[in-house]
Amino acid sequence: MRSLAACLGLMGCVLLSVRSAAAQDPRYQRLDPDTRAHVSAVIDSARTVGLPTEPLIQRALEGVLKGAGSDRIVAAVRRLAVDLGVARSALGSGASSAELEAGVAALRAGATPTVLAQLREHRHQSLTVALAVLADLAARGVPVDSAAAAVLVLAPTARDADLVEFRRAVERDIALGAPPAAATSVRLDATARAAAPGRP
Amino acid sequence: MFEHADSEIIERVIRQLRKPVAMDSGFDARVMREIAADTEVSRPRLRLGRWPWLAAAALFAALLIAHPWSQRADVRPDYQFVLVAPNAASVALVGDFNDWNPARSPMRATRAGIWATVVPLAPGRYHYAFLVNGVEWRRDPAAPAALDDDFGSPSSVVTVVGKGS
Repeated sequence: MRSLAACLGLMGCVLLSVRSAAAQDPRYQRLDPDTRAHVSAVIDSARTVGLPTEPLIQRALEGVLKGAGSDRIVAAVRRLAVDLGVARSALGSGASSAELEAGVAALRAGATPTVLAQLREHRHQSLTVALAVLADLAARGVPVDSAAAAVLVLAPTARDADLVEFRRAVERDIALGAPPAAATSVRLDATARAAAPGRP
Repeated sequence: MFEHADSEIIERVIRQLRKPVAMDSGFDARVMREIAADTEVSRPRLRLGRWPWLAAAALFAALLIAHPWSQRADVRPDYQFVLVAPNAASVALVGDFNDWNPARSPMRATRAGIWATVVPLAPGRYHYAFLVNGVEWRRDPAAPAALDDDFGSPSSVVTVVGKGS
């Protein structure tokens, strides 16, 4: 009984120290008291379930600098926390903070959690760049299905630098007037041919 | 004549050297005792000599753990941001990498109105934007747009490739 009480006390101290660490973060002072209270609550909840908190703080600070109202900032932080949770469900509990952030970008670009899970299955290294390329292609107007299909084809063997170069090549073609889906398809074929030079 | 005298001297030396040397029976024992005594004296020096080896082993273990030769996630290569804004009086770069604080990454202009700054970035994905004259938000035309804009003003994203990304 005594050891249980000691254990609970220790846990309480740890939780209090974590909370006070958040409260002592000088960046929170940039939020008005009402916003700070709500954002702190969301961040505490995220921390409790093991989600990264830095992206949430950054989103709140972005809102403050852009002059957004309290409700909008809190809603943005809450929405990001939910999406980080969805991304983690798809990518697995071992996903890094950078992977989760890139996963959120891919989800918001229109990729499904199934695509994220397939990428995790196909690519045995960090997914940050692969997910970012997917989201960036979608941002350039490539239909998300085409972007997802291309990244899934490249994912097993391409290096991060290759994925970035693929994205740049597609962007160049789009800038020169190619339809985004066609540019993606052509560049994917070229990349596949380059990977297998013996093929006709 | 001189050759004859030399050979005579040599013969005499050889004869002298060939005479058996008389040694007492305890000579071998005395020599072995001296050698043993010398070894015992030098033993503590050998113990002291282990410390450099131990230090080297500890250093080797520390290097194995720290592996400073490999690229670390906290290595932040410089990344240059550029905006063409000929009529701007000031441009600040703000983003996830500087806590959205305009004072942290002010940009410098050339005569042609090209504003630039360099920021060290660890591998990862960052949202950012340019704040022109303290009031006008602009996204980076050279970078993908951020699709998940929650605050109604344009932002861009940059993905820094590297170990840890």
